[in-house]
Amino acid sequence: MSASLAPECNEVKERYDNCFLKWYSEKYLRGTATTDDCQGLFKQYETCLSKVLKEKGIDNMLKEAREDNRENDAEHLRPVRSLGVFAQDIHSLVQKR
Amino acid sequence: MVKFYSSTDTLSYPFPAVTLAYFLRYPNPYSTHVVSTDTISRHYDPETQQLTTVRLHLKRSKLPSAVLRLVPRSLLGASASGDTQSYILEKSVVDIRNGRMDTESRNLEWTGVLSVVERQSFIRPFPEAEKDAQMWKGMENAARRHGFLAFGPDAKVQDTGESTDVHSSVTLHSHIGEKWRKKRAPEDGGEGEEEPPQKVGFFNRWGTASLQRSIEMIGLKRARRSQPNAKEGMKVVLERMREGGLVAVLEGMRKDREAILHGGHHHHAFKNSRSPNDDDD
Repeated sequence: MSASLAPECNEVKERYDNCFLKWYSEKYLRGTATTDDCQGLFKQYETCLSKVLKEKGIDNMLKEAREDNRENDAEHLRPVRSLGVFAQDIHSLVQKR
Repeated sequence: MVKFYSSTDTLSYPFPAVTLAYFLRYPNPYSTHVVSTDTISRHYDPETQQLTTVRLHLKRSKLPSAVLRLVPRSLLGASASGDTQSYILEKSVVDIRNGRMDTESRNLEWTGVLSVVERQSFIRPFPEAEKDAQMWKGMENAARRHGFLAFGPDAKVQDTGESTDVHSSVTLHSHIGEKWRKKRAPEDGGEGEEEPPQKVGFFNRWGTASLQRSIEMIGLKRARRSQPNAKEGMKVVLERMREGGLVAVLEGMRKDREAILHGGHHHHAFKNSRSPNDDDD
């Protein structure tokens, strides 16, 4: 299985991935799935991962990426007057404003 | 300015296997640059039988030397040799009822410098019954034209439903220098194409538009180069699946992951292929 971004989440990720693969291949692909059987394990995995996403500032990146109108957002960023500030501006896309 | 690249392909594997291989495509011998893959959200809608997944990949990459010449390293957060890491957000929707999977991957960082959106659709060809009916009609007509009717109702077309159509596209868009220009334009009373040198730094040597074009071209080149590797990676996973099912896929992944951890490039596949990000211009 693929590795997690957070090594401490590898174990719970593997348990979730295994559950998902079983559900996906045995139920979903056969059109017999009525619910997502792995939600419980996903919650555990999510709890572990979300800490790391927050620490690395990725949660903010994700929030921004999910707003479809990124370009519009960019319009509202503060004015950029020099290369130095431009660099900061790019960083503000990555880190929290 | 937007650069666009697209291609169409057929995989000789059934649609369900292809969708599974998509989820299991990392690690594979062609993806040693993919450090991690995490599922960050997943939703199953029992009504429509659609499965929506959002995943986050971390990829190691080497910035093309051409980009390093254009944009200062400090701005890109890259090391002196151009090594960098990038987060890729991937969204996919599987629609098993209609035999369709749509995927979209985009870079999360540096979208101002270059945003790369890669889309793939995997489509199950015509439902079997419809296809058979069409085939039959076609054959009947052909047979009539040629003066014989050799096909009985038992004549079976091989591979029907055993293939999957793939449509891929990459859209590249650089916004570098744009925000500055937009802000300045009204004050300058013009398009702002001619920026005062003391304020623009390296941008003025190029002009925003040509800088964007250059970056998009470099991105396009790289996207073209990485396509075959991405395709081969999927095929490796699909072959494993055909030969030994899910067990073989997982065993293969375990080995690939070990190889990546040990920095090994021992797989024979590397002899003839370059890492997708290992480009000089």
